Formats: sequence, structure tokens, C-alpha cells
Amino acid sequence: MNVRSILKGGAAAAVLALGLGSSPAFADNIVMWVNAALANGPDAPLYEELKAFQAATGHTVEVQAVPPIEMEQKLFVALSGGAGPDVMTLDIAWVAGLADAGLLADITQKAGPIASQYQPGPYSSGLFEQKQYALPLYTNNVALLVNDRMLADAGIQKAPATWQEFHDAAVAMTNKEKQTYGVSLGGNRMGAFQLYSFIWQNGGDIIDAEGKSHVADPASVEAVDFLAKLYTESKAMPDSVLTAGNWDEVHAPFVQERAGMVVTGDWALAAVAKANPDLKFSVHPLPAGKQAATVIGGFDLAIKANTSVPEASFELVKWLSGERSIALMRKYNRLSALKKAATPEAIAALPPNMQPFMQQAAAGRARPVVAAWTQMHTDVFANVWDSVIRGKPAKEAMTEADAAIKNLLEK
Amino acid sequence: MSARTARPSGLKPTWSSIFETGLGARAYPYLMVLPAVVIVLGVVVYPVLSGIMTAFYDVTLRSLNSGDMDFVGLRNFERVFADPNFVRALQNTVVWVVLNVVAQLGLGLALALLLHRAMPGIGFFRSGILVPWVVPSVVAVLTWRWMYDPSVGIVNELLVKLGVIDAYHPWLGDTATSLYAVTVESIWKGTPFVMLLLLAALQLVPKSILEAASMDGASGWKKLWYVILPQIRVSFAIAAVLTFILTVNNFNAIWLMTEGGPLNSSEILFTLAYKYGFKRFDLGLASAVATMLFVGLVVATTVYLKLIQAREED
Repeated sequence: MNVRSILKGGAAAAVLALGLGSSPAFADNIVMWVNAALANGPDAPLYEELKAFQAATGHTVEVQAVPPIEMEQKLFVALSGGAGPDVMTLDIAWVAGLADAGLLADITQKAGPIASQYQPGPYSSGLFEQKQYALPLYTNNVALLVNDRMLADAGIQKAPATWQEFHDAAVAMTNKEKQTYGVSLGGNRMGAFQLYSFIWQNGGDIIDAEGKSHVADPASVEAVDFLAKLYTESKAMPDSVLTAGNWDEVHAPFVQERAGMVVTGDWALAAVAKANPDLKFSVHPLPAGKQAATVIGGFDLAIKANTSVPEASFELVKWLSGERSIALMRKYNRLSALKKAATPEAIAALPPNMQPFMQQAAAGRARPVVAAWTQMHTDVFANVWDSVIRGKPAKEAMTEADAAIKNLLEK
Repeated sequence: MSARTARPSGLKPTWSSIFETGLGARAYPYLMVLPAVVIVLGVVVYPVLSGIMTAFYDVTLRSLNSGDMDFVGLRNFERVFADPNFVRALQNTVVWVVLNVVAQLGLGLALALLLHRAMPGIGFFRSGILVPWVVPSVVAVLTWRWMYDPSVGIVNELLVKLGVIDAYHPWLGDTATSLYAVTVESIWKGTPFVMLLLLAALQLVPKSILEAASMDGASGWKKLWYVILPQIRVSFAIAAVLTFILTVNNFNAIWLMTEGGPLNSSEILFTLAYKYGFKRFDLGLASAVATMLFVGLVVATTVYLKLIQAREED
């Protein structure tokens, strides 16, 4: 053995020792499905964040971007077939269905110690039958976007803050000759999603904590009636309310300055600004009824039930939903679901148009976390909304919906 | 059948020589088609049988995950028939198919007769008329969706300008018109294919027969009815069966334009099965509807194959 071979052997041993020293003993590969909006190109902030995660933990993350419209179906099909990702981002409305089918890992024990760092509404979105299945990646809610010029032209000085002001502003901005309308809402599922906030604002409810339906309660019926009559009687909504099946179509009349207001979430800000850069609009908390309320949306992070890397997967979920999520979500113009993100200082640091969303976060209400929620939303409430804007009395529609929901709850 | 030449003695046997005589020679063709058979069994026969079997089990996400699926006999079919949406979807499917087949055949024949004439620039028109068929269905459907827009759609603008309607109408948002509005798009998209089939058939009609009919004083209509249609009858029937199959399977048009709505007014069996399967995740119910559709399509396909055979015999 000569000197050169001794040096070579020593160098190899040193490299090996360094390599082992810088990596944890069990470095895993995690497959992660994300909403495509979060991974829209190689420069997406998520990739930087995952590099930091990999550097800190040694685990590698394989990201697969899935269009949001296909995500629910792909997740259900892949997971029920025993495949699918280790970690996934999922709409908060899908958690119950997946958990009920036994497709998500129970993270109650692991999440317990960090539960207090999240806002209660978004945190509860991952809770199903007293077990925690997901942690919030980001939260959102719906607010009121107002076309400042149209509001001023209608002779109104300030954005509506109550139902009466909302109604009056919508009617004032409606002009049949100019074909302008007060407010743009969606049809079918979109309209149903916009409806929930108003039901809660009026003191009504959908399903309470005990699993009892309140859909036919007078307060719930009155809220549906209030919104529907803005179209059927006041004609203060464009006809797109009959057909708008996605957010682009809901926003279109507002972007085209044919509707003075739109009830939507923070995802609209970039879309509206891009579609009509000259549009002067402002964002306001939803007009309050008997109480303030806004429907919570957003995405959670969950782990596949039979993942082979449960520890590493939870580390990733904790990392992405933890303190770093405030800065990460800011890069996407989204709102972190941490309590720290809702302090006055944190809200003041947000872009002005984002602030109203976080200001009303405390009034956020999660949709019922029940296994059949997707069916209740798409089959029952979507039909309620489609019926009432076509003239069916709200009481009749909501009574039928109540029966359908009770039937689903019994199942 | 000629006997294979015996291998010259003294030559070393090779793998290929095994298949030249005896059992090897008889097995050879079966071995050649075996890979194709295995693939067809795996990707066609198994999924079809599995789908049909699912119709007789209670299959939901929960049972799929646990593997605990109960045999329920015909209960899924009972549940389907008890669903008012199924009855509506069945009626809509009949309307949807009849309108599409009749309109596409009528318009396709008219266009084929028009474009069969020899005139300058006919190639341009023949190519141009194929554009709807060539455009990807998703692009076509989304374009039509905007054309039907209740506020800014060009369809409303045209109809108002022509004096057909007084005010803009939400064609896709009105329960009375949604199915027909989607049907118009489907007819627009499917007619060129029918036209192409019939144009090819027309070009095979002997000119001498048409000339003889003209010399006998037959009018245009009589030539069409007594000479042309009998000559292209098999192609016409094939076009009808193909249009039927393609229309029943035309999921994109309805799903992307209305998702079967509003209030199930444009629901057809295909979209209903999709909703059962991928919105409610009740795969047993979805399979029951799909099995019924499958039986209908098998009948149509059998008719189609018989017609193809008839054309070859012609």
C-alpha cells in the first residue's frame, strides 16, 4: 500500500463520515401532491421552502402538482386504491369524506401539542369525529369587493356594512338601460358557497355541533330568501347568476364593470387586477346581518393513512403549516392560519386589500365537517340556490333540503 | 394444406425449427396472438366484467378501502330506478340522442350532396366544413359556452339583431332550453363527420345510374329518393349507428357546458353515472347506470358490425 492509496482511502472515509454526519439517520422520500397554484413553475416559493426543509431534515420531497379541479377526484381514486401521495394539500371541505373512508392518517396525538398555535376555525377544519386528520396550510374567507366608481356614481359614500345597506347599494347600482347590476353571485355550487355566510349572519345554521340540521329554521330560510330576491325581485344581479359555474364567471360581470359588487375570496384579487388593471375597487368585510360571519375556505395538509413514512410526513406537515407559513403564504398572497398571522401587527403588515379578510377571520365559520358534506353541497344546497333564483319559494326549497340532509346524516 | 419440408438431417435444431412441425406448428399462431389476447383481456375484458360485477355490490369509498363489499343483488338497480333524477336523465338521453342523430344525418346528407358537386374551390369548402370536427371538443364546448353567455354572448346578439328574440336569454341557465342549447353545439360538432362518411359513399355511386335516371326524366328529389339513397343506404345506416354511439358517449359537451344542470334539466345517463361515481363516490350505483348504458351500446355496436358486413357483401 503506497502513500497515494492511503490518502485516497482517507479522503473517501472523510467524505463518508461528513456525509453521514450531515444527514439524519433515517432520511425518507416523501411524495407530496399540491394544489397546482402553489407549484406553478420552477420558481414557485414552495420549492424554496422544501429546499429549506430538506436541508434541515435530510428528507427529500417529491412534489406533484395537481389542478385543483381534479384534485378531489384524483385523491379519492388514488387513495382508495392504496396508492396516492404520502402528504397532500386538500380543500378543507374534503377532509371529512376522506377521513370517513379511512384514507387519512389520524394525527391527533402528534397535533395536540401544537394545536394552540392555529386559529380555531381553520384548525377545526381538520377535525372529524373528535380526531385530527389535517393541519391548516392556509385559510381564506369571503369578503365584499366593491367597484368604487360605480358606488360613487350611485350616490353612495361608503361601502355597505349591513344587509340593508348591501341591499340598497345593490339596487342603487342597478340600471336596466346601462345593463349594470348591484352584485354578482354564482349559480349552483358557487352560489351555494356564497350563501352559507348569509345563513350564519342571520343567526341560522346548517348542521350544528350535535349533527342536527337547521336548514329549515326560519333564520336560515330568511337568509336564502333575502339573497334570492336580490335577483328575482330587485333584478340587482346579472343573469350570469343562473350559469356561472366557476370563479372566473362569477367575477366576469365585476371585472367588466357591469356589477358593482362581488362576494368572493382573496383568490379574486390577482385575477381581477389582471383581467382589468384599470378597475378601481376596494375590499370590505362582508356586510353583517344579525351577526358577522364569513365562510372559511382554504387548504389543509394531511397524511395518507397507510404511508410508509409517517414520521417524516408529519415533520413536513408541521414545517409547512408552522411559523414559516406566514412568510410562505405572503408570497402567494394567501393567509396563514396561525394565530400569529392574525395579530394587529401582522394584519397591518399585509397588503391593504388582504387586510379585510384577516380582520374578519375571527367571524369565520367552517362548513360542517360531516362525511357527506360534498354531496350536501353539490346535490342539496346547489339545487336550493338554483331553485330559489328561478322562483321557488325559499321555505319550500329549504324544507326539501332539510329532509335530504337529514336523510344523508342518517346514512 | 401443404406439409412443411422436413429439416435436413445433420443440421442442429434451432428454436425456430420447434415451430415448424407437429405440435409446435399448431401452437405457433396461438402463441403469436397470445400477447394481444392478454392485453385485451387485461385492459378491456377485465374492466368491463369488473364494472358489471360492481353493479351488484355495495361499493363506496369506505367499503373499497376496507375491502368489505356486500353483494346486494339488484338493489343498486332498484335505487337507480327510484331516483327521480334517473327518470329525468333517461328522458333527456332519449331526446338528446334522437335530436342529435336525426339532425346530424339530415344536415350531414345535405352538406354531402352540396359538396359532392364539381365546382371551383370545392376543396376549400370541403376542408372548411370539417373545422368543427377537427377542433378539440373542450375548446369547442368552452367557446360555445361563452357564445351562449346571457350578458355578452354572440348568440344572443345575433338573435336580437335578427329579431328572433327581444332580449338576451340565458340559454344554458334556463331549464327549458339548456338541453337544446347543448344539443346545438353537439350537432355543430358532429355533423362534419357524418358529412364525410356520406360524401365518401356518394362518390362511389356510379355516374351512369344517375345519368340514366336523368334521361328517364327523374327530378332531383326522385333521383335522391330512388337512386342515391338506395345506393348509399348501408353507409347511411353505419353513419346513424356511429352517431348514436358517439352521442351517447358525448360526455364532454354536457359536462363542460352545464354539468347536467340547471336542476338536472340537461342531465343524461352518462353525466348521472359520473355524478354517482365521482361526486357521491357511490360506485355501485354508478356501475348500475354504466351497465345499462353498456348493454345499449353493445346492441348498437352489434348492429354496426352487421352493417359493415353487409356493406362488404354489397
